[in-house]
Amino acid sequence: MAKRVAVVVSQGQSHHPAKRQLEEEIVASLLGESSVDVTVIPHLYDLKPDGSAILCLQGIAQELIVLSWMFPRATRWILGRYGVLGQEGASLLDQPSDDAEDEEAEIPEPSAELQDALPRVIESIEIPKRKIYCLNLANAKEPSVFVDEIRRIVTEAQVQPLQPIDWLQGKPKPEQVKRMLDPAPGNVEHQGSGNGSVTDPQHDPANVIEETTERRWYPVIDMSRCTNCMECIDFCLFGVYGIDQADTILVEQPDNCRKGCPACSRVCPENAILFPQHKTPAIAGSGDATEAIKIDLSKLFGSPDVDAVEMAVRERDEQLLIAGRETVGDAVGIASRSASHAAGDADDLDRLIDQLDALDL
Amino acid sequence: MNLVFKMGEYEANFPADRKYAPNHMWALGTEGSWRFGFSAYAVRLLQDVYFLDWEVAPGMQVEQGKHIGDIESSKAESTLHAPLAGTITSINAQLLQDPSAINVDKYGEGWLFEMDASGDALLEPTAYLEHLEDVWEVTQKTIKGQFNQ
Ligand code: SF4
Ligand code: SF4
Repeated sequence: MAKRVAVVVSQGQSHHPAKRQLEEEIVASLLGESSVDVTVIPHLYDLKPDGSAILCLQGIAQELIVLSWMFPRATRWILGRYGVLGQEGASLLDQPSDDAEDEEAEIPEPSAELQDALPRVIESIEIPKRKIYCLNLANAKEPSVFVDEIRRIVTEAQVQPLQPIDWLQGKPKPEQVKRMLDPAPGNVEHQGSGNGSVTDPQHDPANVIEETTERRWYPVIDMSRCTNCMECIDFCLFGVYGIDQADTILVEQPDNCRKGCPACSRVCPENAILFPQHKTPAIAGSGDATEAIKIDLSKLFGSPDVDAVEMAVRERDEQLLIAGRETVGDAVGIASRSASHAAGDADDLDRLIDQLDALDL
Repeated sequence: MNLVFKMGEYEANFPADRKYAPNHMWALGTEGSWRFGFSAYAVRLLQDVYFLDWEVAPGMQVEQGKHIGDIESSKAESTLHAPLAGTITSINAQLLQDPSAINVDKYGEGWLFEMDASGDALLEPTAYLEHLEDVWEVTQKTIKGQFNQ
């Protein structure tokens, strides 16, 4: 009955020694665990669509934990792009740290009703039951933080079918946990799930997938937010976006995207477009819905009146110039924005009010 | 001596030993060379800053109002703009590792950058407080206006 959990470590882009060390220590600590299969891949965002690492990920059908140097939302939807889907597993590492300094009340989740004002693309995607947990390696410096969290998730995955609710909330007894983490040898079920290409983990060290990667730069769409409004396809003049057979927005030619350009993320009315390597956390996929929409103080701090769309138009013009093309200003691809933006604002309202209250003005 | 401005319940303190820029930065220095940091007004609006990044480097000349960096806290985000026209001479590298000094010691260790510039446009503390009286209304409206647009 013991389920095996796949753990995938996506290596940092930069080969930074401190990052490598953290990755290696986590992998080393996990090799002793009998119920996890560890796979090491190059930086997830940079992988070739038809490379062996993606094939391997697509072959994993069981519970999956992915550790990467990106925000969980970015990791989740890069995987999603390749059809590696699953229910969103909740990690304790995502919980806002309870800093003693922050006496403010926590911002409540917007109610489901407000959040679902517009249908999201995710509702039309079939998502398998297994869970995918995305952990951000930048969240902690000690390998033990991640190893402990992985153990917790493994336990969660094991106990679910037996005692759905009590166990999750309460603490399983130590001997129960031990039994789950360390099943007797005869108890282990493992036939390498179907088309799974993960090597047999019997006495296997980590499965390290070597693939030469180059740094890539392309938008990643968070389908739990995207409403398929097509603003992005109208806005981008580099042919990055397209639509699939079901008329759903698609990042069709990712490598046409202009390195460093985040313009379309600013015109998306739902903040659904991420650039995982962008330096601004909100664009790189920081946090959840409540975090991404923040009070913008720029005007108070001396910004000439430039809103996100103007900035996007300027960035796009810059890229057009670099590519040796004519600039277009705001003449192309932003006409329909105001209408749909108003609709999108309805569900932001509550969050902003909550945030204002929290500001205690 | 500190001057005090009340932001709702909150009392923002402003040391009188320095000048202020209308975009809520303090300026400490001698004519021609200034160190800048966030005033208590700015820090109160931002609250706990966890991200700071600069678009400029020492030696660069900037126009007044030029976009020089970005800041983000758990509740707000903002672009940062040059308070004066001049030349950036130094950036507080400590803050790039850990921006928490902005909250802990805004008038000291939490300084942001230094510039060679004419300080003619800077305000005396009392003038800055009058400026706050003027903008406090607008500040509240600007924030609240973000969901009425
Ligand atoms: S603009 Fe945003 S919401 Fe609209 S289709 Fe593109 S990603 Fe989806
Ligand atoms: S970032 Fe620029 S080039 Fe890339 S998809 Fe968006 S608009 Fe197109």
